[in-house]
Amino acid sequence: MTVDPEPVVHRVDAEHLELGGGLEILLAAALERVAPGGVLEIRTPSRAVALELPGWARLAGHDPIDQIARPDGHVITIRRGSSTRILAGTLPAREVSPPLRDGALHTADWRGGDPLAEPDPFAGFAPLGSVPETGAPTHHWRLSRRDSVWADDVGELVDQASGQQWDASRDVPWEAAHGLDETTERAVAQVMTFLAQNEYAALYVPAGFLPQVNPQLVELVLWLSSHIHDEARHIEVFTKRSLAGGHHGYALASTELSLSTLLDEHDFTASSLLLNVLGEGTFLDLLRFIETHAPDAATAAAARLAHRDERRHVHFGISNIRRSVTIDPDTAGPLVAAAEARAAKLVSLSGLSPVLVEALTIMAARSLQPADLSAAAADVRALMQTTERNRLRRLQACGFDRATAGHLSDLHTPNLM
Amino acid sequence: MSATELRLGAVAYHPRIVTIWERFRTYFADAGVATDYILFSNYERLVDAVLGGTVDIGWNTNTAYVALDHRAGGRTRILGMRDVDRDWATVLVMRGGQQAGSVTELNGRVLALGSRDSGHAAILPLHYLAAEGLDVASCRLLRFDTDLGKHGDTGDSELHVVRAVADGEADVGALSAAYFSAFRAESVPAVSDLEVVWRSPDYYHCNFTVLDSLDRELAERWSRALLAMDYDDPSLRPAMDLEGVRRWYPGDRDGYASLQAAMQQQTLLS
Repeated sequence: MTVDPEPVVHRVDAEHLELGGGLEILLAAALERVAPGGVLEIRTPSRAVALELPGWARLAGHDPIDQIARPDGHVITIRRGSSTRILAGTLPAREVSPPLRDGALHTADWRGGDPLAEPDPFAGFAPLGSVPETGAPTHHWRLSRRDSVWADDVGELVDQASGQQWDASRDVPWEAAHGLDETTERAVAQVMTFLAQNEYAALYVPAGFLPQVNPQLVELVLWLSSHIHDEARHIEVFTKRSLAGGHHGYALASTELSLSTLLDEHDFTASSLLLNVLGEGTFLDLLRFIETHAPDAATAAAARLAHRDERRHVHFGISNIRRSVTIDPDTAGPLVAAAEARAAKLVSLSGLSPVLVEALTIMAARSLQPADLSAAAADVRALMQTTERNRLRRLQACGFDRATAGHLSDLHTPNLM
Repeated sequence: MSATELRLGAVAYHPRIVTIWERFRTYFADAGVATDYILFSNYERLVDAVLGGTVDIGWNTNTAYVALDHRAGGRTRILGMRDVDRDWATVLVMRGGQQAGSVTELNGRVLALGSRDSGHAAILPLHYLAAEGLDVASCRLLRFDTDLGKHGDTGDSELHVVRAVADGEADVGALSAAYFSAFRAESVPAVSDLEVVWRSPDYYHCNFTVLDSLDRELAERWSRALLAMDYDDPSLRPAMDLEGVRRWYPGDRDGYASLQAAMQQQTLLS
């Protein structure tokens, strides 16, 4: 009786490769072409490799079938195991590469459209385009619905954030902070302390949301990371400027009260309104004022660099809210309610702290001369009018009607942030 | 929790044994044959427990199985084994470029062996090499008797074997093909310049053993549940990977004859 030989359909010549020296890679690639249960014939001139291959095959989940010594070398046959190495479907066929713009691969272009509206809320850290293996530990992302968190231009904003990084140690002319007189320097230290104190909240709020975001909404993950990083640098640069002249400022309790209410807001879009649009929006005007009236180049540079970042944050907030309100006009109500709830907690704040108003005025006056103070006080009053006018404009850009925008602006904290 | 129908004994040669059997315990309960596990520190105690009725099923090494079967007068049954247990083998390794054409060329050399109670790293290599003509008495045996009682499960003595050969302390070393391949896969430095110069015939390794007296229907139900374990089930794969199994087989006695003869010759059966 004769027995039919195994139907060998795949062969690979190991040549002088050895196990531990690259042969495993060649075999894995060869086995990818063999169906489960199919047979692979391996030729090797090495007796040592031939003796070792059955052990390798078994460890890799395949059945060693036979080993024959021939004058020209050794032939080992193995049957491919039936189990898959990875518990996932096959990888999709190769696709067209994402488009380039002027040679750059932009974040806005990498997925060719919006993410899914309802990505799997239990998904893991599966990068864009990847096929996740089953059996991995699961998560439960609180921020998983695209339309609750998205902004249409988030990809572009991510690229801008990466492209506009700066260095708070080297990009500010720190020597310029050394020559101010006692009065002006003390005022600058107070203003910078106020800014740094506020920037902590601007960091902690997005940092609280970041680990709640479904990684499938990766652009938002990158965006929040950049926001956090920006605010870290703002804390750094304003703290450095407050220290650079040797003076100290107060971290005011009224400021702390205002900031604590930002941390109380756990709805993402409501937080966009309170922090990004109202808080950071108002700060845009404050930073522009400081840059314009700075008594030294270091203060001006710090304000200018931070202003550039805050513009992005405000842009995101407006874009995020406008999208929400456009998709579902009913979201406007809860947003107004959030601003009202915050204002209710801040009833004890009756206006911008006199300590800060004084510091801003002296910083702008650069002296205690009545004429200088008079002009600077007028500038500070004008700043307050500017902040109110621009707040209204930004709120209307969010999609609120004029009356609602006026109501929201009136509710905004006198602390500015 | 449903009432336990079977008690299974295993040796805790590594903390992962708890992870494995916690998962398998749930699996067997879901499969309708509730099985609890009891851990032992060594196989001799496990064999005693099977014979004494403290446990119903012993998850035995080949050495433990042969000892148990001998003491039970052959009145044992095998309920299953891993895919890897069906073609276990021992290899001899030497430093690269020192190929031995035949086993007799190893006469008078230094031979490193694993724990003396390891079937694959001590008992069977001596048995097979003598059968192929090696004058064992002419060799100096360098034994690494670590983790005695664990029958070589930990792989520790085999790591000593490959290091002894790599360092030139021994000319040749014996270990399981499975451990050598695992060391290779883990890029253990000692094996990088070692070559396999000999491979033993295949033999069986571990199995689940019961005494003949165990209710046959219950035993078969347990065996069926074992064989139905699916490596493509993501909730089972991690535990099966830890156990080193992709598929369970029914198992039989055919692959234990060589070890039985070896243990007899080496007076390891009492």
